[in-house]
Amino acid sequence: MRTVTLQLFGAFSELDTTAGAGPEGRAGIQINVEGDTVADLRQALRVLLPARWPAFAAGLLDYSAFADSQRILRDPEPLPEDGRVAILPPVSGG
Amino acid sequence: MVDSLKACVVDRAVAAIDPAEGIAFVSDPGFGGIDVFIGKVRDLNQGRAVQGISYDLFQPLVLSEIDRFAADIQARFGPRLKLYVAHAKGRLAVGEVAVVVAAGSPHRDEAFRACRALIEAVKHRCAIWKQEHYVDGDSQWSEGCSLCHVEPLPAPEHGT
Repeated sequence: MRTVTLQLFGAFSELDTTAGAGPEGRAGIQINVEGDTVADLRQALRVLLPARWPAFAAGLLDYSAFADSQRILRDPEPLPEDGRVAILPPVSGG
Repeated sequence: MVDSLKACVVDRAVAAIDPAEGIAFVSDPGFGGIDVFIGKVRDLNQGRAVQGISYDLFQPLVLSEIDRFAADIQARFGPRLKLYVAHAKGRLAVGEVAVVVAAGSPHRDEAFRACRALIEAVKHRCAIWKQEHYVDGDSQWSEGCSLCHVEPLPAPEHGT
């Protein structure tokens, strides 16, 4: 079991995170993850999102990627040592 | 890429993006062609009247991804290219500049192609999100492009 600090972006930033803001004021949530990979984090969210935020369209998770501050992290990859991960819903820059 | 790329995120609360800065950066006595793309906030999207857009970015990831895209574009259309990207963050009104991409090169073909490739990468691959604010008071995050299955680019070699 490890704790991940998930930084929230785009639509995910609207989750009610009054329990505590993330680093640098960015909305974030703490999640307990069974396992060490990005896929394990995704699975933890699959359980947590509908339970804690029933009004949120949790299907967005299937189209969202994860990243550290330098690059996208694929599902089989290990979670970062510092436990800080960003969730990236589909992007729409420009 | 140290001297041939400038990428920045401009907080609208602090400043507006100036396309002239991009043109100045990609200018060079040996360059005969500069292509500039300017993206602005439009007043209508999918039939809904838009009042403004808020941009959310994961800034360190955006800058490191642009570094990789620029190195890839340099390899494809360079080596003599200068590239510039500025993207806004925060809330913008209709008509304001959301993004500027500029490419300079000795000839126009490389400038056009590099500029096009870079704006497409910024729109489809960078950690940037757009929330539209409609005239009727509603707001919605744009649907966008999933990053789940895109092929990652290798990290560029710095100092070359």
